[in-house]
Amino acid sequence: MNIGAYLKDNLYKFFAFIICYVFNLLIFFAFKVGKQVILSSTFLYLICFFLILFVPYFRKKKFYNDLLANISLLDKSYLVLETLSKPEFYEGELLYQALYEINKSMNENVRLIEEHLQNFKEYIEMWIHEVKIPLSTLVLISNNHKEQFDTKTKLQLKRLEDYIEQVLYYARCENAEKDYLIKEIDLSKVIKNVGLKNMDEILENKINFIVENVQYQVLTDSKWLEFILGQIINNSIKYKRDIDYSYIKITVEEQEEQTTLIIEDNGIGIKESDLKQVFDKSFTGENGRNTNQSTGMGLFIAKNMCKKLGHKIDIKSKYNEYTKVSITFAKNKYYDVLK
Amino acid sequence: MIIEDDTIICNELSKLLENNNYETVILNDFKNAFNEILEASPDLILLDINIPFINGKTLLQNLRKVSNIPVIMVTSINQETDEALSISYGADDYITKPYNPTILLLRIGAVLRRTKTNYNTNANLFTYKDLEFDITKGTIKKDNIEITLTKNEIIIFSYLLNHQNKIVSRDELITAIWDTADYINDNTLTVNINRLRNKLKEIGYTDAIDTRKGLGYILS
Repeated sequence: MNIGAYLKDNLYKFFAFIICYVFNLLIFFAFKVGKQVILSSTFLYLICFFLILFVPYFRKKKFYNDLLANISLLDKSYLVLETLSKPEFYEGELLYQALYEINKSMNENVRLIEEHLQNFKEYIEMWIHEVKIPLSTLVLISNNHKEQFDTKTKLQLKRLEDYIEQVLYYARCENAEKDYLIKEIDLSKVIKNVGLKNMDEILENKINFIVENVQYQVLTDSKWLEFILGQIINNSIKYKRDIDYSYIKITVEEQEEQTTLIIEDNGIGIKESDLKQVFDKSFTGENGRNTNQSTGMGLFIAKNMCKKLGHKIDIKSKYNEYTKVSITFAKNKYYDVLK
Repeated sequence: MIIEDDTIICNELSKLLENNNYETVILNDFKNAFNEILEASPDLILLDINIPFINGKTLLQNLRKVSNIPVIMVTSINQETDEALSISYGADDYITKPYNPTILLLRIGAVLRRTKTNYNTNANLFTYKDLEFDITKGTIKKDNIEITLTKNEIIIFSYLLNHQNKIVSRDELITAIWDTADYINDNTLTVNINRLRNKLKEIGYTDAIDTRKGLGYILS
């Protein structure tokens, strides 16, 4: 509460005081009251005036100052009411009551929206499981009737599956609730699963899939990591360069405190101006505009998932040379002690 | 035995398995699943988690109390917690839909081999005509000549042997090799096949592996 602003707001009290005082003086003069009486009553007037002016200021000051300070301190400022004690002046009580009611109705609103979101998420998850059944049937049928369905069908089915998975993980990682299980897993196994999943596309595009020294254990959720790796490898396939020898190379670097998984390709790379934004939602950049196949969601979801799992994801690239994505897993000393 | 409530998937799955020399039974009555399984006493069960009347996991738990029949869980739920739970209930493997058919077959083969070795020490020994093939040692033997195969050659030969007289596509062979984490490309497969051919030739099997253009290979 700013004293200057408060005084300005109470300017009318000055005027009221002056008017009253002038009338009073006129009355005193009219009745020819003695100087002593005028002086002492002036003195009383002034005391009264200052009391009227400043007592409310000091009564309100603490409440409003706390309110403003706590709002700026809290990172969720809507919780401010919880930090304040109920004020002891009428205006404050009204404000407090109003804030309380507003909070309550907003909470209800938020709860409703959360409920909607949760229902929607559950529906999406269920829908994905349902849609996977006809999809698996299609995969089986195309496999059982190879003479009618060639690799093209297979690749399209794979694309369909990829997009479905993307929705699933988007729904999962956007939600506050915990949908993952972190345990010690073998990196080579995850890489194998991702490799097998993308094998047809890798071979179709004549890309060499090189995996070196990946026999490491890390703490993560294997399904989530499979998805993240899948997004990165998908990009490598999508943005390959038209050259004789293309590769995707996966290696692991182990340091004392952390393990880093590196996925490198010699594809078209990413322009420096785009590099900072590749993890942004719906960002497609120059490469996306050129190939017309980007949703701009893959890396965004991958980044979010890494954040949730506590991994660091980084990207380096040189246009027309290479792209290098690294995922860093922290080692947990506490976990080692437990073993 | 296939336990799955979607009939189309069931039929295609059983067709796939029968094409690969397995006999299949399909569970009919989900209300009576438990008894039907025991009656059929299959070598392996493919079990879907979402089946009517009884949850796949509960069925598995009940089954484990009385039987060690190998079970592969097949599900559309791609979640770590679910997998961990299924394995803890006694599933031998866990595969998510939509699965790659070749990989499904490889997993089935692996589970069967793993469980069979418990009773039968010779499960790793195969014969092809009068040739002996030892998977664990990685050797082929005829009379007294023994030739050692490389890892990839072993995989190729055993896959061809399992599908003897059937055309095996290059895709299937590459999948089988990738499954053991050797990420070869098309050319390497050709090289490996030629080496295997030469080794077979050395012990008198010329033209054992035939090329069918555009389709794959066949071991006759």
